Amino acid sequence: MELVETDLGATLSTLLGLAWLIPLASFAAILFFGPKMGPHGRNSAWVATGAIGTSLALSLFAFGTWMVNHPPAVAHHGDHGDVHGEDHGEEHGKEHDDSHANNHSAEATNRVAARLVRFAEEQAAEGGHGDREHGDHEHDGHEHSDEGHGDEGHGDEGQHADSVEHGDTGHGEKIAYSGDWYALYRSPSLVLSIGWYIDSLTVLLFVVVTFIATCIHVYATGYMHDELHDVTDHEVTLAAGGHLHRPGRFPRFFQALSLFCFSMLGIVIAGNLAMVFIFWELVGICSWFLIGFYFERKSASTAANKAFIVNRVGDFGMLIGLMALWGALGTLHFGDTVSVDAEGHQVVEPGLFSLVRPAENGHALQVPDGMVVAAAASRVGNIASVVSPEDARAVIAEQVSGWRAMGMGNWLLVVAGLGIFCGCMGKSAQVPLHVWLPDAMEGPTPVSALVHSATMVAAGVYLTGRFYPVLTPDVLVVIAYIGAITLFIAATIALVCTDIKRVLAYSTVSQLGYMMLALGVGGWVAGLFHLVTHAFFKSLLFMCSGSVIHACHTNDMRRMGGLLKKMPYTGWTMLVGCLAIIGAGVPFVIGFSGYYSKDSILAQALLFRQINPSHAILWYAAAGGAALTAFYMFRLWFMTFIGEPRDQEVAAHVHESPSVMTTPLVVLSVMAVAAGWSLGSLGVVNLLEQARPLGTAAGMTGGGLLTAAVTVPAEAASHAEAIHVTATWTAFATAGLGVLLAAAFYVWRVVNPAVIATTLRPVYVFLENKWYFDEIYNWIFVKPAHGIAMLASANDRGIIDSILHLAAWLSRQLAAIDAWIDRFLVDGLINTLANVTWTMGLRLRHVQTGRLRQYVMFIVVGTVAIFLLASMMLSATVAIP
Amino acid sequence: MSQPAFWPLTLILFLPAIVAFVLSLPIIPKAREELIRWIALATTAVVFVISLMLAVPALGGFGGSQFAVGDPAMQMVVKMPWIDAFGIEYLLGVDGISMPLVVLTTFLSVLACGASWNISKHVKAYFVLFLLLETGMIGVFISLDFFLFYVFWEVMLLPMYFLIGIWGGPRREYAAIKFFLYTLLGSVLMLLAILMLYFNSDVKLLSDDQLIATQVVSPLLDEAGQAEAIAEIKAADSAVHTFNLMALAAIGQLPDSPFSQVEVFGTRLEVLAFLLLLIGFVIKVPVVPVHTWLPDAHVEAPTPISMILAGVLLKLGGYGIIRICYPICPGGGLELAWLVCGLGVVSMVYGAFAALAQKDFKRMVAYSSVSHMGYVMLGLGVWSAVAGREYAWESWAQGVNGAMFQMLAHGISSAGMFFMVGVLYDRVHHRNLEEFGGIFGRMPVYAGMAVAVFFAGLGLPGLCGFIGEVLVTLSAWNYSYTLAAISAFTVILTAGYILWAIQRVYLGAEYRGPHEEALTPMNSRELAIATPLVFLAIVFGVYPQSLFDYVTPSVNHQVETLAAWTRDVHDADVRDANGESDIEQTAHQAAVDHVADNSGVTTP
Repeated sequence: MELVETDLGATLSTLLGLAWLIPLASFAAILFFGPKMGPHGRNSAWVATGAIGTSLALSLFAFGTWMVNHPPAVAHHGDHGDVHGEDHGEEHGKEHDDSHANNHSAEATNRVAARLVRFAEEQAAEGGHGDREHGDHEHDGHEHSDEGHGDEGHGDEGQHADSVEHGDTGHGEKIAYSGDWYALYRSPSLVLSIGWYIDSLTVLLFVVVTFIATCIHVYATGYMHDELHDVTDHEVTLAAGGHLHRPGRFPRFFQALSLFCFSMLGIVIAGNLAMVFIFWELVGICSWFLIGFYFERKSASTAANKAFIVNRVGDFGMLIGLMALWGALGTLHFGDTVSVDAEGHQVVEPGLFSLVRPAENGHALQVPDGMVVAAAASRVGNIASVVSPEDARAVIAEQVSGWRAMGMGNWLLVVAGLGIFCGCMGKSAQVPLHVWLPDAMEGPTPVSALVHSATMVAAGVYLTGRFYPVLTPDVLVVIAYIGAITLFIAATIALVCTDIKRVLAYSTVSQLGYMMLALGVGGWVAGLFHLVTHAFFKSLLFMCSGSVIHACHTNDMRRMGGLLKKMPYTGWTMLVGCLAIIGAGVPFVIGFSGYYSKDSILAQALLFRQINPSHAILWYAAAGGAALTAFYMFRLWFMTFIGEPRDQEVAAHVHESPSVMTTPLVVLSVMAVAAGWSLGSLGVVNLLEQARPLGTAAGMTGGGLLTAAVTVPAEAASHAEAIHVTATWTAFATAGLGVLLAAAFYVWRVVNPAVIATTLRPVYVFLENKWYFDEIYNWIFVKPAHGIAMLASANDRGIIDSILHLAAWLSRQLAAIDAWIDRFLVDGLINTLANVTWTMGLRLRHVQTGRLRQYVMFIVVGTVAIFLLASMMLSATVAIP
Repeated sequence: MSQPAFWPLTLILFLPAIVAFVLSLPIIPKAREELIRWIALATTAVVFVISLMLAVPALGGFGGSQFAVGDPAMQMVVKMPWIDAFGIEYLLGVDGISMPLVVLTTFLSVLACGASWNISKHVKAYFVLFLLLETGMIGVFISLDFFLFYVFWEVMLLPMYFLIGIWGGPRREYAAIKFFLYTLLGSVLMLLAILMLYFNSDVKLLSDDQLIATQVVSPLLDEAGQAEAIAEIKAADSAVHTFNLMALAAIGQLPDSPFSQVEVFGTRLEVLAFLLLLIGFVIKVPVVPVHTWLPDAHVEAPTPISMILAGVLLKLGGYGIIRICYPICPGGGLELAWLVCGLGVVSMVYGAFAALAQKDFKRMVAYSSVSHMGYVMLGLGVWSAVAGREYAWESWAQGVNGAMFQMLAHGISSAGMFFMVGVLYDRVHHRNLEEFGGIFGRMPVYAGMAVAVFFAGLGLPGLCGFIGEVLVTLSAWNYSYTLAAISAFTVILTAGYILWAIQRVYLGAEYRGPHEEALTPMNSRELAIATPLVFLAIVFGVYPQSLFDYVTPSVNHQVETLAAWTRDVHDADVRDANGESDIEQTAHQAAVDHVADNSGVTTP
């Protein structure tokens, strides 16, 4: 279906908009009519599954439309050119990337300047840009005119705008559609709107999210069947003894799941940061509902609260990022907003991306004018207070480039980047905000699979990727380090966990760390590629673990073992998941999905290390983490499925799950294998390369605020043979080492894990206690917060009210004195006066002569005296003002 | 001179008072409690319907009057002489700032009246005072004469005192006297400021157009009448003082305004008056450290009075600041912006911390009000239209719009929260947070609605609490990075105390307190009160423009005026001193040199 450019944006936004809203309708329907949907609300599962299935269909249709109209160019990123025998770009890549690397390691040492410097400007000028070479043969006629379109056909209120963003990234063109559906608040300074920003990343993630969600809805129909009748919750012991007996809540589960899907898709489609923030909070509250699904359990409700509050810590940072952006730039839109003004002229209001990477600057990062001016407030003040407003504006406009050269406003851009990333840290469970995710496993397992591994927690990575053009090298280095620390800490904890879901939870944290690391070292495609492949294999792993828990009624791996025979589907699909996550494959030939994405991350980390030798630790963390991953994943699989059953009681009841649960496992395991492959132009990497933000194909040099000067290398350079061969073999060797170690511990039993645990007791205890994060937080945050709260409350009663009571007491004393004065002084005076009057009266009797003339005289004198007195006083009063 | 708005405004203002008067007569026997309740409910309902008809164009207006949405000016002005000797008038009117607050008041009065059905002590006296209270509240919102405003401010105080002091909980007398004295202190300071402003005002300073625009001379007069009235004013020998709020604002914003020239105790009058008025109003808001009456008053007050107290009375403070403090004393506002914002941020954080420590459910909700009203203060105060920002007014306007929205949203959510607490209290007669639990299992519909209302308080997107908080927090950034960061920090604490309370009350396996058997589902009366609150919390959350359509034009107009005042009046001296009158080129060069001299270059 070839569409004219104008219509395509409208079509895609309508398709994806519907796919986004249908789960909301399902939520509303189940909210009001859930219990009436069949016996015990059984049919609510069909409503929810039907809704998300429809969303999947619409997303696939949108995907197809996209592929027809904008077939992505074949990139050779991540597939090493071998799978498809497509390698002619390799040569170019190598040459130019080498020159990049050399130039820039030299540059990096030479430049101490604190401000941002465009990377590879010289090369671009020579036309020898490595990325440009790739791009050239992919220029297949995307001759889009740079026009936006006032949107005609939507019929809603509010101003509509639909704009198309084009530009040369070196890899063909960046195509993105953006616009607004609805404005929550519209003012000259801020538009809080619900809108869309659609590029191939959006389309891809819509398919991924709805696909996984559909699988999980089907799976949950089987998994949650206990909730169809009254439930006895064995984990809740009542005060009176005995376990809690409660009615089932089948519809409530699907209601929350539908709301979650709506919120999650809202993040993906969001056209501006404010909308991201809105849906960010909504997925947070859905997560709260789902973690706390068994709200009778204290542990579940506590975990739900912990998740939300820790996420709010991240949101605190995100709010600051929003402020820093909005305060200086006045917009939170990603793309440009095109509207038609009253006179019929097109008005293009640049979005964040164009402001930070303006086309006239070749899409290289620069501090936008607004931030420069905001940072130069005192100078602006000086100017504005000297000349008239119109002149001031002109003078300021003249000064901006000079101020920018002085580095003004750079810190604002860094604050914005760090702030937004802070939100991503909360959602994507990066250290130090990772503590909520393992506890979130209190929720039902389908929730863990969908929300807490595949989609919501990946939203942080998604946003970091979406927001990538605005991130400065300073921020990227921070992201890389946070990612590396996270992947390492989480992997070490996963080594000793015995709860099957917690192993997977820490593995999720660790993999998210990988993605962040990739983004931080410049691997935009690598990080998001891993997001996609991880979503498939991690949801698969969680659903397998759910199937195991469903059969064993326990999470404890020490009570499992030898389940493979009894649960073949679960066991084998889980093995597929494990192989995918460790990145198994035949080097340079073919592999599971994780093989491609993890290799591209390692290659980028290695490249980063070569250019910035001082940051070598990032590479070691990535490589070492790969070995740890392989170890703990196969430890899990061996402990669960291999060997003899450790607990006969558990083993006796084990059975394979019903087909409604195993079918999704098989479907997802196919994806876990194949998600990394490319068929011609149809491949995740190609789609991602097409979505690459403008200007990010080239590397950049900068730093100085938070780190010494650093060069973030261009991603294409990591395909250089020297880099990717090393990376691939390192990945292969580390993963192999991990698997062999796990086998030695748990299959061949050459080494007894118990002995190791005893020998390394302190380390073991340290890891078993999860590096004591919870305890430390309890001591340095939770307890002091409660302490301050107590102080505030005590201050009200103890100090403020005491002062009040003292004041009241003093007034009463004063009143008492006053009363005494009244009684003894005033009354006394009056009495005295009365006495005096009385006596005077007696005396004056003598004046009363009875002669009229004397009386008249008295009156006249008195009146005159009063008149005189009054005049004097009044004139005095008049004189006062 | 016919005044079309006379009857509609007078009716919503005095109908409750008249009914109160009739009720207090011995015509209706005390024993007919049911009848008294219905009469009161009918009265509040009629007032609500009239106010709604006035406010919403689709309803076609009432008595020939109709609020024009989108018009920033004062509308439906009623102007009658009252106490001629001092120029005190019966001057009423509404604009986009007061109209929504009036409707909020009449709406919450209906709900609170419905929530008063359980009151069984001195029913007649209760409803008489309740209706008087409604007149007082509406009067404050629609008075445009400062003296009239003050009278209604005081009229409101006494019924509230008795409603808490007679129908309250065990420590009701303490709470009532505390409330009374606090507010009275504020009133006294306000009176001082009123007199200072009155005696220094002079409408002769205003131009003819301003005299008509500010209703000193009624625009309803024909041209000849207007000319005559203006001539009469101009002919007066001495200063013509006024209580007219709009005229006072126009005088306050004049270049060389008497309020900025006169000094009292070495302080400019506008600063002193701003401070006195501010103290009077912030006691009502309330802000830390003059907030301690609020938790006591709430804990002791019966549920409907708590709803009114949190839903309407607290807004009077914010309304006073926006309507009186800033327009009349802009110089004071600019000089003391740090104080307004600082008080707001301190209240936000302190209130949130204090809420975290409470064991009493109602006390916790009361402290959450302190915290939420802090946003209102912050939003009102972020005067970022200064030279360093090129006098851009939009950001500040956004703060004030956010503050207004926050007031209205908090009116819904706090009334809802207090009602939800009341529903539980009516059943189990305690409010100890440690002795609840498992309510979700026992009263699912109630718990669902309560959680929705508490989430609105939490500031969850899609519910009414979100918009105001976001607008205020964002706009704070352009005023002060530090205050903005602290206010953003509050979101963590808010989540903490609200979620913790929800966990202790609604979640969990079983109820841990006394009277377990009384935990029955909500009855239809309670549902009828809770449903509109939850509904509005959602409507304002997803369609906030419904309120902004009213609020924004008036707020923007006021803020834009004050921003222009900052540039043209307040900073004019600076520009004059630096020689704006020089030739363009010189000014240009001077600016650049000036920059180079004063920059104190700090390259990061």
